[in-house]
Amino acid sequence: MEEKLHIDWLSVILYILIVLFGAINIYSANSGVDEVLKLDFSKEYGKQILFIGISAIIVFLILLTDYKFFNFSAYGIYIVVIGLLLVLLATGSFNKGAQAWFKIGSFKLQPSEFAKYATALALAKFLGTFDVKFEGKRNILISFGIILFPMLLTLLQNDTGSALVFGCFVLVLFREGLSGWWLILGVYLLTIFVITILLPSIQIIIALLIICGLFTYFNRARKQLVFLALTVFLASSFYVLSLDFVFAKILKPHQQQRILVTLNQDVDEYYAKKSKGFSIFKFEKSKEKDKSESKRDYSYNVRQSKISIGAGRWVGNGFNNGTQTKAKLVPEQHTDFIFCTVGEEYGFVGSTLFIAIYLLLIGRIYYLAERQKNVFSRVFGYSTASILFFHFFVNIGMAIGILPVIGIPLPFMSYGGSSLISFSMLLFTFLKLDANRINEISRLN
Amino acid sequence: MEKSNRLYVFIGILVLIGIIFISRLFYLQIIDTSNYYKAQAYGSNEITIYPARGTIVDRYGKLMVYNDAVYDLMVVPQKAKDFDKVALCNELMLDTVEFNKRLKKATKYNPREASVIYKNLPFHLYTRLQEIIYQFPAFYIETKIDRRYNINGAAHLLGYMGEVTEKQLTLDKYYKPGDIKGITGLEKSYEIYLRGKKGKKVVLVDKFSKQQGSFAGGKFDSLPSAGQNVISAIDLDLQVFGEQLLANKIGSIVAIEPSTGEVLSIVNSPNYDPNLLVGQRRNKNFASLLLDPSKPLFNRALKAPYPPGSTFKTVQALIGMQEGVLTPDTKYPCHGGYHMGSITVGCHAHGSPLDLKNSITKSCNAYYCYVYRSILDNPRYNSVQDAYVKWTQYLNSFGIGVNTGIDLPEESRGIVKKPSWFEHEFGKNWRSSNVVSMSIGQGQIGLTPLQMANIAAIIANRGYYYTPHVVRSIGDQHFVPPSFKQRHYTMVNSMYFDTIIAGMANVCSPGGTASRTGIPGISICAKTGTAQNPHGKDHSIFIAFAPRDNPKIAICVIVENGGFGADYAAPIANLMIERYLAKDRTVPTQKPDMLDRMMKANLTGKTSTVKDSVIIAKPN
Repeated sequence: MEEKLHIDWLSVILYILIVLFGAINIYSANSGVDEVLKLDFSKEYGKQILFIGISAIIVFLILLTDYKFFNFSAYGIYIVVIGLLLVLLATGSFNKGAQAWFKIGSFKLQPSEFAKYATALALAKFLGTFDVKFEGKRNILISFGIILFPMLLTLLQNDTGSALVFGCFVLVLFREGLSGWWLILGVYLLTIFVITILLPSIQIIIALLIICGLFTYFNRARKQLVFLALTVFLASSFYVLSLDFVFAKILKPHQQQRILVTLNQDVDEYYAKKSKGFSIFKFEKSKEKDKSESKRDYSYNVRQSKISIGAGRWVGNGFNNGTQTKAKLVPEQHTDFIFCTVGEEYGFVGSTLFIAIYLLLIGRIYYLAERQKNVFSRVFGYSTASILFFHFFVNIGMAIGILPVIGIPLPFMSYGGSSLISFSMLLFTFLKLDANRINEISRLN
Repeated sequence: MEKSNRLYVFIGILVLIGIIFISRLFYLQIIDTSNYYKAQAYGSNEITIYPARGTIVDRYGKLMVYNDAVYDLMVVPQKAKDFDKVALCNELMLDTVEFNKRLKKATKYNPREASVIYKNLPFHLYTRLQEIIYQFPAFYIETKIDRRYNINGAAHLLGYMGEVTEKQLTLDKYYKPGDIKGITGLEKSYEIYLRGKKGKKVVLVDKFSKQQGSFAGGKFDSLPSAGQNVISAIDLDLQVFGEQLLANKIGSIVAIEPSTGEVLSIVNSPNYDPNLLVGQRRNKNFASLLLDPSKPLFNRALKAPYPPGSTFKTVQALIGMQEGVLTPDTKYPCHGGYHMGSITVGCHAHGSPLDLKNSITKSCNAYYCYVYRSILDNPRYNSVQDAYVKWTQYLNSFGIGVNTGIDLPEESRGIVKKPSWFEHEFGKNWRSSNVVSMSIGQGQIGLTPLQMANIAAIIANRGYYYTPHVVRSIGDQHFVPPSFKQRHYTMVNSMYFDTIIAGMANVCSPGGTASRTGIPGISICAKTGTAQNPHGKDHSIFIAFAPRDNPKIAICVIVENGGFGADYAAPIANLMIERYLAKDRTVPTQKPDMLDRMMKANLTGKTSTVKDSVIIAKPN
């Protein structure tokens, strides 16, 4: 039987472009100023080339694999990855402090990167099961369970950034029938969250009371609406108070500060206000103590990142010529802050083009996902695009200073074997499934 | 909504995020330029390469001021870990306790920035460290340029260097905080020529200020260009000789070449060694010089107004002739002085009456009381006040009561009172009799030694002078400021000078007021002065030029509390003239007794603090 590979070449080309561009930028961020251009496998850019090679082999293997394998082994892969996460957690509890990776030789394997892939497979498998729809308490609970379980394990590893990524599956569920109200609720809750941090909670509750009062007054004839408004008010007030509590008492100082830096708050001033009864919950002394250390670091990251990107101006300094980049002023520039290199060396024009290409790839995957004939492929496609989108959104958002510093990589760009390989697997598994769509149609016929 | 249509929600979100990101990038990269400038500041470090400051040589090319490299051992405390401390201390011959103390101090100052840990490395240590410094990555040697003076006097003339003030930083963008510039003397007035052009090297630095290489391929780098060398008019040998002569006396010598206005020497006593105000020692030594009761920092030659005494008679006579109230044949009687009502101006014993020429030679006081009163009471003018104003204009044309314009900072104009001052003192209708003491250079008149030397130069030139200047030319192109070549004529016609010169020519001959100080074979034209002062013994003053025809040197010597002009000022001036005019400076003086007497004279009342003003041996 001669099987023609109906792979989506546009996606492949965009993928290759981004991966190679990533390697170039890692070289820039990583090599010394007067270094001669050469392949050095002891350096990060050399290793990245190695990872690209490994990814290529894995991609090749995926394309050779029968598409049915993924559907068939989805739960198996999920269970194996969950198992790995549990093992990490267990060893971590022995070794004092969590570890997010296995060490294999000189390489570190980060199972949380593969957990997204596994979760996407498992969710696709579950929703793609005949007769299962995203309806009914049981199915919804199982769907959320599939997502929340690895999320929780990652969170327990102290890898908040990776854990948050699992939130992107909400977008997949939205496609599969989750009410849009949930998304709106999410945005509402996020807005209240930001306001709660910025303003005294008492003021917010008074404001909510006034809005609710006016709403009730104008709709006093309709008992149902009045009841709804009161419920929303009470729930919101409770939310505000608990947020305040969580922020003051549960979040660690470095987490508080990351959020504050993103909201353009002067950390010192903020703490000063808080200590003067700004919040109903007192900030503990011990938290104040290590604030000076961590505060500088997070605001430093964002400040350096913005300076670096800002230095690029219209067309940037050109390859390997970014002064901030070469001076290694941005911490983690070859990993989480790789976009700084793009901003500085290729300027506004280059960055815009890069963002356009990236969004084109994500959009293309959403488009391909929507045209799938079976639910498994579609859910997996939406998962792939949503995971990439979340990473893209958070990573660049933090680099340009509109989101908190959450250490997650920019897929295909950031240095790191686990992330490059897992994202490549994710993309090409979907492209393999997409390529088989033709076969499926022909079989149906 | 049909679920498959939800794709458009996703596409919408993507487009929205794209727009938000690109707008934000547009703001960061295009609108908000502050990041761009911050990047310049963060990523690159501009290292200033200081140019070699110009040297100063004397009129014969002898080096007076030059630069010397000093080497400091620097440390970046943050990086000073895991190194062989004992080995380094052994090399530096420093005990570890002291070393740790310095390292701690440097850490306290700024752990990330380089600090000096060993200042002024001796040369052998410098060469040794060059070989082994690679073993101590946190350490490096920084070369700095320091000023050195080849002479341990002439401090007021050469000046000293000091750190720029905040005000100067705002006025001249050339300077950066911590830069050194000329504060006084030639170092100040020729600063812009001497300082040269700074070079810069822009290096990439990381967040620990560690250099990562050159910035933008050295595109913004520039090489420094050395400052221009200044050729001064000073005769170093004469300068040193003058300082030796004035040692243990308080006073000043100014010598000028009349035909050019070039200043041959400016001697102040007390003086100090300019090398005291160099490098680290500057602040400490400056404080002790400032507190010294003998005021060694005071530049008498340019700033102290002295009553000119009888030397002023030359000017009075010239003005009198120009005003038509005096001719060479005018004779006035003198019987022990000038008497008018209650006023008596005493005079010493000499023949009477005297004509103009002899009034200079014999320095008759009475004669000049008549002269000055006839100038002020001249019927050509409506009032004494008008005549006085005219007279001050004459003085100004002689460089009196105005700045001479010498190329050194902080010159004093001297004292010439305005008519209003006398109105205040003597009432509205003051008369010539009120100011008669000025006829002999006493009272309300004050000239700096420079101004008196300039008068000698004017007489030598028969009526004009060039602005006195210490510098001959600047740089390899021998640039001469045009103002140096400009003649300033006095308001007195040159034909009136001959009589005065004839009178001055006899001052150092028998019958003159300084008859015993003459130098055989040199026609010295001179005028003695003995200025009374309320603080003690009279000041000994002498102005002179020589030779009479085609004068080569004009000089003024003032020795405070030295008595008669002939006592100290005249011998010193004539010895200076002899020295200057001698082709071979090693030939001994014709007046060894006089030289010996001057050298040994101690008028300060202190036991000898003689500075051995012998030129320091200098390599190269």
